[in-house]
Amino acid sequence: MANALAWLSQSGVVQGLLLGAVLAFLTAILVMNAVGRAVTSTVNGWSAIRKCGQPGNGVLVRAACAKALPLVNVFEEAAYWTATADSSREALSGGRRYLLHFPAGQLPPHDAFWSLTPTDTAGYMVDNPAHRYSIGDRSPLAQNADGSVDIYLQHEPPSGHEQNWLPVPSGKFKLMFRVYLPGEAILDGTYQLPGIVRAQ
Amino acid sequence: MNRLILKYGRPLTAVILAIFAWVIYRRIASGDGIFPLVIAAVIIWALGAPALIYLWPRLTVNGYKRAILKHGFGEGPIPVNTLYAVPGTSSPSNPRGSLMATGADDLLYVGGWLDLSKGPQVLHVPDMAGRYFSVQFTDPSRSSNFAYVGKRATGTKAGDYLLSGPGWKGTVPDGMAEISSPNQSALVIGRVFVEGDSDLPTAYALAKQIQLAPLKQ
Repeated sequence: MANALAWLSQSGVVQGLLLGAVLAFLTAILVMNAVGRAVTSTVNGWSAIRKCGQPGNGVLVRAACAKALPLVNVFEEAAYWTATADSSREALSGGRRYLLHFPAGQLPPHDAFWSLTPTDTAGYMVDNPAHRYSIGDRSPLAQNADGSVDIYLQHEPPSGHEQNWLPVPSGKFKLMFRVYLPGEAILDGTYQLPGIVRAQ
Repeated sequence: MNRLILKYGRPLTAVILAIFAWVIYRRIASGDGIFPLVIAAVIIWALGAPALIYLWPRLTVNGYKRAILKHGFGEGPIPVNTLYAVPGTSSPSNPRGSLMATGADDLLYVGGWLDLSKGPQVLHVPDMAGRYFSVQFTDPSRSSNFAYVGKRATGTKAGDYLLSGPGWKGTVPDGMAEISSPNQSALVIGRVFVEGDSDLPTAYALAKQIQLAPLKQ
């Protein structure tokens, strides 16, 4: 017994077990991240995983979803998109001003509600003096002359457009777009959210 | 802890791998064999990585199970087969790291842990009068949603739903639809739409009426 313990401590088996466990953990994380990226579809900077939460998913997709979007609704119940970059693929930052332009009649189709929420990069809402943490179907959004709608994503209020202003954090941030009971055009992929464009 | 790992994951990994590289270098330099070390590492790696991927959904859901049964959402632990309605929507004032902190500000959340090992439970939902709501049932072994009650799945009228575990062979009472759970336990997440601040009391009163009760035999 004492001999066996001595051999264990000197042979390197214990270090090997520890090394194997660390490598196994890293491999699992890398594989789940890679699968997560493979099942993510990104259009105009908005990323969504449509498969998550569905009972028929295989082992890899299940794990990738549990890691990326734990406990997420199935897509037909609620569509979620996240964006971390603007249309020129630069990280979203409160130091800049952005516009989200919906052409006339192109606000997201739904049977429940939609909302757009800015958060810090970890996903937490950030306090702002206007106490406005999301904009959505109930917001009294002003329309442009042609019926289109612009949402102003910036840290400071846009003068003359406060009604359509969504305050964002001062530093780097991300956006979460939720459409509950998404309409047919979202489910079949024909509806796409517009890109996040830097304001001139 | 999770936030620390997220924030310092890469440097921590680099440090750990550097320590291992140094240990292996020392063994080679001092003339000790490294075969036992390498073989042990490869075996654990080859078994461990697939096992972790397979178990990841279960580990994730178990994290929420612990959070519900041990901590709750601000008013203490939530016993099994009890649904707790969080009184407010998500906002920046939620403590960082709490389950509510990354939610939506137009929903009230309801949460609980279902345990069917001692018999079926009945889910009651009140008349939502067209309001959006959903109750999601998540299988803890796969982290997949095996059933929904709510506006999309069942409509917004009041109703009672029988939740039965695997192998239950009773009679479903009249007027109840049966939802068979693939496991004896399941995570339950409810969501009730809040039109705005003035609608919050109405929405909360409805959310509190989404309840579980044992099946009366």
